[in-house]
This record gives sequence, C-alpha cells and structure tokens, in this order.
Amino acid sequence: MERDEFTLVRDMLRAFATRFRSGSADDVKAQTRTDAQRALDELGLTGLRRTSPPAATAQECALLAEEHGRQPLTTSLLGTALLAPELLRLLDEGERAEPVHGARPTVALAGDLRFPDRDAVGLVAWDCDGADTALLVHAEGRVTEHELGSPAPTADLLRGVRRASAEGRPVGRITPGAHRSWQAYALVVVASELVGAARAFVEQSVDYARERHQYGQPIGSFQAVQHQIADATVLVEACTSATRYAAWCLDSETPGRALTAARVAKAEVNSSAVEAVYAGMQVFGGIAQTWEHVAHLYLRRALVGATTLATTSDLLTVLAAPEGTR
Amino acid sequence: MTDTPLNFGDPEDLERLRHDFRAWLAGHPLPERPADEPLPVFLHRWHRQLHSGGWVGLDVPEQYGGRGLTALHQVTVSDELGARGAPGVPRIGYLAHALLRFGSEEQRRRLLPRMLSGDDVWCQGFSEPGAGSDLAGMSTYAERRPEGHYIVNGQKLWTSYAQYSGLCLLLARTDRAAPAHTSISAFLLPLDRPGVTVRPLRAANGDDEFCELFLDDVRLEEFERIGAEGDGWPLAMTTVAYERNAQDTGHLSKYGLLIERLRRAAHERRGTLPDGLLSDIGRCAVDYQVLVAHARRRTAERLAGQSAGPESSVDKLLMTRAEQRLYETALKVFPEELYGEGGEVLGDYFYSRAASVYGGTSQIQRNIIAKRLLGLPVGPRA
Ligand SMILES: Cc1cc2nc3c(=O)[nH]c(=O)nc-3n(C[C@H](O)[C@H](O)[C@H](O)COP(=O)(O)OP(=O)(O)OC[C@H]3O[C@@H](n4cnc5c(N)ncnc54)[C@H](O)[C@@H]3O)c2cc1C
Repeated sequence: MERDEFTLVRDMLRAFATRFRSGSADDVKAQTRTDAQRALDELGLTGLRRTSPPAATAQECALLAEEHGRQPLTTSLLGTALLAPELLRLLDEGERAEPVHGARPTVALAGDLRFPDRDAVGLVAWDCDGADTALLVHAEGRVTEHELGSPAPTADLLRGVRRASAEGRPVGRITPGAHRSWQAYALVVVASELVGAARAFVEQSVDYARERHQYGQPIGSFQAVQHQIADATVLVEACTSATRYAAWCLDSETPGRALTAARVAKAEVNSSAVEAVYAGMQVFGGIAQTWEHVAHLYLRRALVGATTLATTSDLLTVLAAPEGTR
Repeated sequence: MTDTPLNFGDPEDLERLRHDFRAWLAGHPLPERPADEPLPVFLHRWHRQLHSGGWVGLDVPEQYGGRGLTALHQVTVSDELGARGAPGVPRIGYLAHALLRFGSEEQRRRLLPRMLSGDDVWCQGFSEPGAGSDLAGMSTYAERRPEGHYIVNGQKLWTSYAQYSGLCLLLARTDRAAPAHTSISAFLLPLDRPGVTVRPLRAANGDDEFCELFLDDVRLEEFERIGAEGDGWPLAMTTVAYERNAQDTGHLSKYGLLIERLRRAAHERRGTLPDGLLSDIGRCAVDYQVLVAHARRRTAERLAGQSAGPESSVDKLLMTRAEQRLYETALKVFPEELYGEGGEVLGDYFYSRAASVYGGTSQIQRNIIAKRLLGLPVGPRA
C-alpha cells in the first residue's frame, strides 16, 4: 500500500473501533458481537494478505493489529482477516491438494492455544467470530481444514474461541521456509494486538493520573505514581520496538531471521504487556478492580495473549540455545 | 512516535556496506590487548584502526571528517562488530552531536575530524561534588574578564577517563545571578592548561575509570567557548540525550557476545545447571535483542525527522535493564569469578551496577519520562 492508502485503511479501522468498542464487560453480548463482526467484514480487509505479492506488507498488517488491540473489541480481525488469508497465500505458493470449503476460515490452534505440536489434543478454532471453518498447520507443514464446534471457554471475554473437529480435511502443505514465515507472522500479529492494548491502557491511566485528585493535587504529581507510569511506558516502548522491528524483518529479511525477531518480540510482549497493564490498574486504584471498568478486559486479553502461540518459557528455551544448535 | 510504517533502511544498501566492512575486517585483525594495558588505551588503538578504514563517524557530514551516510549505516557497522566479537565503535556520537549543533563552523571544522580520528580524546566535565542529579546546581564559575577571556575556578567529579583525555567538554556558570538554565556555558578545556589538576579515583571494580578535576584560575579564551554564553544548559541536554540513546553508545554488541558465551557454557554443562538458569539466559537474549530493535526503531524515527529528546530516557532504562540482568546472569554461569581472583565478568558486573547511576540515574530518567515525555503534572517538590 502507498502511505496515504495505509493511513486511509488505518483511519477506517480506527473509526470502526471507536464505534464498536465495548465500554464494559456488560456490553459483550451475542448480538453486539455479530453486528460488530459484520461491520468489520464490510471493511474488506481479508484481501490484504490473500494475494502474492500481498496487497499489504507485514509491517502494515502489524500496525492494523496494534490499532485493533487499542480498544476492547470482540471482532476477529486477526484470525479471519490476517492469519487465515496469509496461510492460504503461503499454501498457494507450496502445493495445494484440495480447495478450502469455508468461505471465511480462521485458524486452529492446540487446545491450550499454542502452536500445535505432533500430538496436540483438543483443537480449537481461535478468533472465530464470523468464521465458518478453521485451518490447522501441523508441525511438519501439513495443512488441514476443521469444522467448528461448541464455544470453548476462555478468560479473554472478547476473544471468540470454539472447539474444532479433531479430524480435518487435507488442503495442502507449506514448505519449511513458508512454515517459519507463517509462525513469525502469526507471532508478530498476535504480539501487535497486545502491544496496542497495553499502550492504550497505559495512556488511559496517564489521563486518569492527570484528572484524579487526592490530597488536593493530581495523583500524577506524586513521584511514586510517576515512576510507576514511567516504568510502564518503558515496557510499552520495548514491546513496540521489538514487534515493529520483527514485522519489518518479515518483509525484508530471511524467514529464519524473521522468526528469531518474532520470538524475541513475543517473549517481550508476553511479560511486559501484562506488567504494563498491572501498572495501569494500580494507577486507577479501586475503580479498576470492578466488573464495570475496562481494566480487566485489557488484563484478560494480555493474560491469555501471553500464552497464545508460544509461552514465555517455550520462547526463552529456544532463545537460550547456542546459535549453531537452534 | 509514528504510527505509519517505518523505514528501517534499504537492506541491499546496508548489506553492501556490511560486505565491504567484512572484507576490510578480514585484512585488519583485532588488536591484542596485553594484560597490563588499561581498557581505554586498548579501545583507543582500536578506534584509530577503525578510523583508518573509514569506519568511524559514518553519519557525520564529509566536510567534518565523516562519510555523510545515515545513522543506519553506523548501526550496521556496530552490529557487524558485535557479530565478530570485536569491541564496539568508539563512543563519541554524543560529543559529535553537541558540536554539530552548537559549535561554530570554525570549531566544527577544527575539532570534529580530530575527534573522529582519535587524535583528540575527549571527556565530559559536567558533574560536581555538589551537583549530580541536580546538574543545574553546579558552582564551577567562569568569570569573564574585560579583555574577553575567562578565569575558571571549581571542581568536577566523576569525569570518566580524564587521565587519558586531552580535551574536556566543560560546563561552568558564567552568571551567578541569572536562573540556572540560562547562566551556564560550555567550554572546550585542554587538560594540560595551567591550573588544571586531574586526580584518578579508583572504581569499585578496581579500575581507574573516573577522576576528580580541580580548576584553579584556569584561563580559557573566548574562542574556546562552545555556543553563545548561556547555551550550556541546552548543549548539556543535547549531549545527555544522545549519550542515553541506544544507537549512539556503540557498545551494544558486547552484550551479544557475552550472551553467546553464556549459551555455549550452559549448553556444555547441560544437566548440572541451577534452576531457571536457562530461562535467565533466554531472558538476557530477549533484553539484548529488544534493545537492538529499539535502537533501530529510534534510528528510523530520527531519520524521519525526530531529534534526540526525552525519549532517550527510555533507551537508557532499557539499556540498564539489559546490562544489569546480563551480568547478574553471567555471574551465575561463572560463579568461580566470585571465589577466585575475580576476572573480566566480575569487573563488568561491577560496572553494570553503575549503569543505573551514570548518565543520569534511573530515577532521574523516570522523572524525565513522566514530566517531559508524558507531561504529568509537577509534584509538590522535586
Ligand atoms: C561510572 C561513572 C561514570 C561517570 N562519568 C561521568 C562523566 O564522565 N562526566 C560527568 O560529568 N559525570 C559522570 N558521572 C556522574 C554521574 O552523572 C552522576 O553520578 C549521576 O548523575 C548522579 O549524581 P550523584 O552521584 O551526585 O548522585 P545524587 O544526585 O546525589 O543522587 C543520589 C540518589 O538520590 C536520587 N535522587 C536525586 N535526586 C532525585 C530526584 N529529584 N528524584 C528522585 N531521586 C533522586 C538518585 O537517583 C540517587 O539514587 C559518572 C558516574 C559514574 C558512576
């Protein structure tokens, strides 16, 4: 996309997000979810990564995912508009066995939401609002299509997750290089959404620190509060840098380098997004501990997001291995 | 902060530079450091060698002795050094930027090429016994004489490597009455000037790093002032902003090397590792790579027109995090350094404790982020 074209798409998403954001957990209802997803689908973003070369760079998609994460939204931008189309694109480049049946697939993950390994049990269709099937990439690169089942519980009240059939129809394979790119892209897109969420929530806490008065002064004038906010800001910047750089690597570097950068980004985000939300909640004080406040929607997203695709310990173990042995 | 895609450089152009640099390195092996050679002396020899190949000051304009390329080129060279196990590029970026911005054309042409080549070695005389975090409280005084020159009296403290330097970027008050932020001026002080006494102080790791500087009736000429009278405060702020900037410190690569050493050591000792050590090492790798990514992003933002400012406090805190966690972990991997004669890791560990103090303490960086970056309200006091 040209820069102004990107700005246009981002502004469209921003306007959508302001309109469909959940003001509190009570807003998250079946009907509002369906309406929001329909409105998102009308923006026509599934084409961004569907063609080769893709219409949008990984960097642009990552920025859109960041934007989507800024507001509490129930829509499945990641699964249906960014991740599944990317997989189909990578599949086309490899060998394709059968057509995909679903008109709007999302992606399938292991039951614990991680990348499936050889004996993954209890598959789920992740980020499945508006989706009709789910695509699974097996550890060795085989891709299968799975039917959607009943809703699967998750602490993230915004994210739509459903069970997926254990058996899937084969639709093709992706090459080892494409598999690395796919994992890197998925890590970057998921991390980006969490970065957006952490950044927006910390910004809200900064605004609150300016307005809220105690002892006759804004709480943001107390150094203890300032330092907590400063620390959260540093974490958000670290997450942003790591994730945006990893996104750029996907567009410009080898799949191997991109995967390392993506793992680094997800590891940083896994711990720092949660820490930053904790700091923000502390600044809000009591109000942030209520059901009505948006704080826990952000916390839930960050908490579950930190274990999605790859946990911190999965990533640190890989990154601790000497360079030649990875 | 920009929310449109960033330009992290043209991979082909940077790859070409990397290739040329590798070819040069192949013909110019790293100098050996004799056991009794102080680190700054060794680094200075390395600085001159790099400069002879044209690898210092890539982003400094050609008329001042640089190569007129971008900061991304400089970062690429630094990266490549890290990958090769070499010491980083000389840490002169912050001084060069201060001169570029505040020096007269004559000063830039005279001083910058010699700084880049290593002919002049500089140190930074900002802190004083009574003015550390509160730099504005400095009392070193440069009295202007009717003839035009200045007579300087006072004391500086913590001046790193003054004993190996010829020139000092000196801050002194030129007006006792005006508010601090408009009454400080910057000077170029030759350390062999009569009235200057340099006394090394021993650091916790045993090294002679920093010094005390005593100034007794030192005469400085008008042309030795940098910028206008009263420009010292903005000059100092520019200097420290660049000093805190991740890409200007030039030594990130040394973290990468140590991490690979820790990985290998842990890999060989698999099975006998203390609990959690592997994930500590992984965490160090994350801190380091995040820092590298952050330096790249900041460089890209700088090329897009943002100058160094309060954001560099974020860089400084990220660098401190990476460095302190890394050396804490290194001591867990090499515990023998705690019981034997010590060694390089123990020495660097002590130096890493200073990371949250020099260049402005971590608390001061947080104050800057809160007030200047986020615009939080001013507190009751402080
Ligand atoms: C290894 C090393 C190299 C150095 N090299 C140089 C150099 O080359 N040139 C140079 O000019 N200086 C140099 N310094 C000096 C360095 O910049 C100062 O040490 C630093 O700014 C802190 O000042 P101080 O030591 O006087 O501590 P103080 O300012 O006395 O601070 C003591 C403690 O109080 C805290 N504190 C102070 N004010 C506040 C506040 N407003 N809010 C919250 N907490 C506060 C500090 O964070 C710190 O924890 C070096 C220092 C070290 C350790």
